[in-house]
Amino acid sequence: MARTAAAPGVPTTRVGKAAYELDDRFIVAGWLRRTMNKVYPDHWSFLLGEIALYSFVVLLLSGTYLTFFFDASMKEVVYNGSYAPLRGVPMSAAYESTLGLSFDVRGGLFVRQLHHWAALLFVASIIAHLMRIFFTGAFRRPRETNWLIGVTLFVLSLLEGFAGYTIPDDLLSGTGLRIFGTVILSIPVVGTWLFFALFNGDYPGQFVVGRLYIAHVLLVPGILLALIGLHLLILIKQKHSQFPGPGRTEHNVVGNRFFPTFAAKSGGLFFLVFGVCAGLGGLVQINPVWLWGPYNPAQVSSASQPDWYIGFLEGSMRLFPAWEINFPGNYAIPAPFWPTVFLPGVMFTLLALYPMLERKLTRDSASHQLLQRPRDVPVRTSAGAMALTFYLVLVISGGNDVIADKFDISLNAMTWAGRIGLILLPPIVYVITYRICLGLEHHDREVLEHGIETGVIRRLPHGEFIEVHQPLGAVDAHGHGELAYGGAPVPKKMNQVGGARRAIRGFFRPVEDPAQVELEQRAEGYGLSAAEDEGRELTTSGRPSEGGRPSEGGRPQEPRD
Amino acid sequence: MSTPNHPSEAFDENPGTARRLLAPRRHAPGSPVAAALTRRRSKRRRRLTNVAGLFAGLCLMGALYTTIVPGAQAAGDTTTAAGTAEAAGQAIYNRTCISCHGANLEGVPQRGPSLIGVGAASVYFQVHTGRMPLARQGAQAIEKPPVLSDKEIDQLMAYVQAHGGGPTLPSGDLRAGDLAQGGELFRLNCSSCHNFVGEGGALSSGKAAPSLKNADDLTIYTAMLTGPENMPVFGDSQLTPDEKRSIIDYVQTIKAQADPGGAGVGRIGPVSEGLVIWVVGIGVMMFGIFWMGSKA
Amino acid sequence: MTAHDTRPGSTGGADIPEQVYGGPDDDYTPEQLATLRREDLERLGAKYDGVEVTHVDPGPEPGSPLERRAVRQVGMVLTLAGLLAFAFVVVYVGSGWFLPSWEWAQHPTTWSALYTPLLGLCMGLSLALVGIGLVLFTKKLLPHETAVQDKHDGSHFDRVTIGATLVNTLDRSGLARRKLLIRSFGIMAGGLGLMLIMPLGGLLKNPSRGDPLGTTPWAKGVRLLTAGGVPIRPEDQLPGSMQTVFPQVPNGNTAADAATMLFRLRPEQVAASKPRKGQANFGYGDYVAYSKICTHAGCPVSLYEQQTSRILCPCHQSQFLITEGATPVFGPAVRPLPQLPITVDSEGYFVARSGYIEAVGPTYWNRKRI
Repeated sequence: MARTAAAPGVPTTRVGKAAYELDDRFIVAGWLRRTMNKVYPDHWSFLLGEIALYSFVVLLLSGTYLTFFFDASMKEVVYNGSYAPLRGVPMSAAYESTLGLSFDVRGGLFVRQLHHWAALLFVASIIAHLMRIFFTGAFRRPRETNWLIGVTLFVLSLLEGFAGYTIPDDLLSGTGLRIFGTVILSIPVVGTWLFFALFNGDYPGQFVVGRLYIAHVLLVPGILLALIGLHLLILIKQKHSQFPGPGRTEHNVVGNRFFPTFAAKSGGLFFLVFGVCAGLGGLVQINPVWLWGPYNPAQVSSASQPDWYIGFLEGSMRLFPAWEINFPGNYAIPAPFWPTVFLPGVMFTLLALYPMLERKLTRDSASHQLLQRPRDVPVRTSAGAMALTFYLVLVISGGNDVIADKFDISLNAMTWAGRIGLILLPPIVYVITYRICLGLEHHDREVLEHGIETGVIRRLPHGEFIEVHQPLGAVDAHGHGELAYGGAPVPKKMNQVGGARRAIRGFFRPVEDPAQVELEQRAEGYGLSAAEDEGRELTTSGRPSEGGRPSEGGRPQEPRD
Repeated sequence: MSTPNHPSEAFDENPGTARRLLAPRRHAPGSPVAAALTRRRSKRRRRLTNVAGLFAGLCLMGALYTTIVPGAQAAGDTTTAAGTAEAAGQAIYNRTCISCHGANLEGVPQRGPSLIGVGAASVYFQVHTGRMPLARQGAQAIEKPPVLSDKEIDQLMAYVQAHGGGPTLPSGDLRAGDLAQGGELFRLNCSSCHNFVGEGGALSSGKAAPSLKNADDLTIYTAMLTGPENMPVFGDSQLTPDEKRSIIDYVQTIKAQADPGGAGVGRIGPVSEGLVIWVVGIGVMMFGIFWMGSKA
Repeated sequence: MTAHDTRPGSTGGADIPEQVYGGPDDDYTPEQLATLRREDLERLGAKYDGVEVTHVDPGPEPGSPLERRAVRQVGMVLTLAGLLAFAFVVVYVGSGWFLPSWEWAQHPTTWSALYTPLLGLCMGLSLALVGIGLVLFTKKLLPHETAVQDKHDGSHFDRVTIGATLVNTLDRSGLARRKLLIRSFGIMAGGLGLMLIMPLGGLLKNPSRGDPLGTTPWAKGVRLLTAGGVPIRPEDQLPGSMQTVFPQVPNGNTAADAATMLFRLRPEQVAASKPRKGQANFGYGDYVAYSKICTHAGCPVSLYEQQTSRILCPCHQSQFLITEGATPVFGPAVRPLPQLPITVDSEGYFVARSGYIEAVGPTYWNRKRI
């Protein structure tokens, strides 16, 4: 278009002219081009963090709606709404407005449930994202800052979730609030002061719901939003890390440009996250506060649990033995202090400082843009699995009464199983994980050295049976492969090097005519050598149906750096 | 019939004492005991299909029981029928209960407690829910389909009631109460063991408070009245019959009530919700991102 | 790429595509750019951003059956998403108008229990289908490219120049020499910081004043009331029963720490009773009263097992033995549940003989032990 104009580059179309006007004022052309050209690595695990980001967006949207109807007040009112079993019961205005939101607002229950499910998904995806970052070593220099921000986000999201499910002031969350109060009270020296500052006096007072509400809708989300912004800004500035593979080095990013591929996929993911939250929000009931009833300090129900992400604290509180440390002069450190303040303190401190610890221990302070496969760092992987086991035992113990009830196990036995499991299981898992990592590493090396097991058995003239191995590359005089391990997945089956040709397309059923594909492939070369001769890029054969891990390189072509 | 072993005044023979203590009771003490067997089924349909059988049963039971409980009101001319029921009940007792509860209901150490003074209500609860006869000694009796027929249970009740008296079956509409008040009482007295919605819950060392899912009105009523196994007793002075009816009304309403928010996932709150978000939520998302990350 | 040293005051309006000075415009004149094809321009821009597209798998051939099928698929998915979105609107708006009302009714199978699930189904599926459509479009119709972008690790030039600038600025300000300024700045910042957080002091309350943590409304002569506000007589409860009682004071039934459990023990339990030291006379006959507030985390302990005499806390499963002064026998609780001394007043109703002799509820740092 511009080419045909009289003056070179003069826009002739309306849109073109408008774009020119725009850039003349805001000078965005260069920025926009850079943004659209930014390359994102194409690996499924890089989308875990995006799930968290999009659930946060859903939370902001739905949460704003909920504030239109919620009354964060502990003033006592008598319920007179649609839900008959509670009519005439005195309750707080907060609980009453939650009931109103659920029964007397058109679609209110749907949005309330959507919000709650999005919150559960938010924390769950944060943990999944954290695990990805941890096990692939993405936290190493230069990304320690983002790791710290991430851990902060994680802790804040727990607080945010707790405040969120507590403000309806129902019997379940009220019980949780009472325990939360105890946790604060258990802090030595300043506990009682903190408790009185939070509750404005003795428990429960008239203030706590209002304070938690403002923390839930303003303070914590504000900090979350700012930190998420910073998290992303640093990410863009530092560019993505990537898994090792063909053509991937410490100084480049291989993948898709932002527009259109990545943008479309990312946008699709947003809608998928929103859709899952909405689907769960309508189809699966969550936190039915009308069944719990209004909070009353004298009432309680069996199977009182916090939402799953606080479950590890509930579990540690249940498992911790009855140890109270008394000091002379009638002072004491109460039992709940250790499992609910000290233990999470240690856990999150270790988590936050892990990059620095690893740097100290391995003396590896270099910058890393290439990720590691978990098996290649057995110590870290095993330590992570150990920590995860510890966490899981705590979470499961947080619901041990429900498990005991549903599976007819003795409650006391569940507690003891948790206590013993918490100490014994992590080291066992460490050893097992370590052995698995070594085994996998060993097998990678073996395949690189001896080639892929083809399953073809050959009988030699002197009667010996051998299995034919397909070398992955050039071999030396002894028939041993010369390829070095480059940190990328090593193909272990003939399909992965094109030995079985490509699979018929189609997810649930074939969408291609097998005979047609067969004909097409007759014309092509066959096997590994053909793939190499044609210079066919194995990077592109990442389909699981074609044997590769999604989008990881088929096999390493160059050693890492 | 005297109750020398029964420690409670609430069920004393003396009608005057009883009336004073049970002042809030609405129904007249002398109402026909036949109506006591108005077993309200939780499922209306089943109730309709059974209405004929129920009616026949009611007539029979009415004939059997008019004279038995409470003894003070027994009419003289039906003693024969009562005696027959008692005798039949004794036969059943000797067949199914005697090995643990002794020849004269006095109980056998390490096996079973004394049944003197436990009353018809207790028999109804234990036998109707299949807890008795006991399948095996364990942490607690297990609920199972009743071994005895309704008629046999009635005869057994007559026999036990005749030996030491005790709480009897209530009469009238067992759900005639205040729904909201029932909810408050349920949350104060019952939910601590039986959960917010009657899902049941674990107790210490392998014992458990049962789910109220299959409990009918009379079962709940008799359970409150007699405090079976580890459940505390809620006598009529502690929870008046009206309050018991309110609680039953609440429990049955909540059970029958639909879940407005979709699938209830057991109505046990955060544990099942956590499971759903990891299995369904994260599951679907993992499926999605695997699909996105793979190349076409 | 170097900055131009002279910048004219005006380069004219947007209509005249003159050289915008600085950046790549030094390297590529409008005339040069005008001769390039669109594809080459894109490639040039990408190269300028350090991006090289190494490999492109073109999408399906225009007009091929593969393309038609893919277009049909994506179109169908997006259309379905739109239809479901409309369905959501119909359900949302139509309920109570031409559809049954969404308002809650107690009967088991009403529209009110279907309304939210229908909303969720429509919106969830609709949004998920939009997502699926977008991804299908990307995967089936867009060309697949492999792009490589260079990472620029910061430049030494930038570091040295900004370092020099910063140090020079500091020098010019003279702060390094003028120590007084720095000190006064420190005082100013510290003072301001403290001043701004001072209002938070309004949050503080002295927890020791009047000892609200250690006290309950129970006192000598205060009657025990049921939740319904009825006083209790010794004949009201049966052996093997437990009742939650509250002090007869205003708002006694909602006071956080006042809830108390009144037990009437069975004869076997009475026989097995081993009260805590000095509390043998705290009960009345076969009645004993213990605080309902768990000494571990403050939950109401009320899972009373009348045969085993245990009270279980549903929150953290501490178990207390009421025949032994409610001492904990399992779980994380350390201290026994405080016992309320009770007796009967002249009218025959239960009253407290005094308040609790120890603080009820969870332990804290400076709890007074009695």
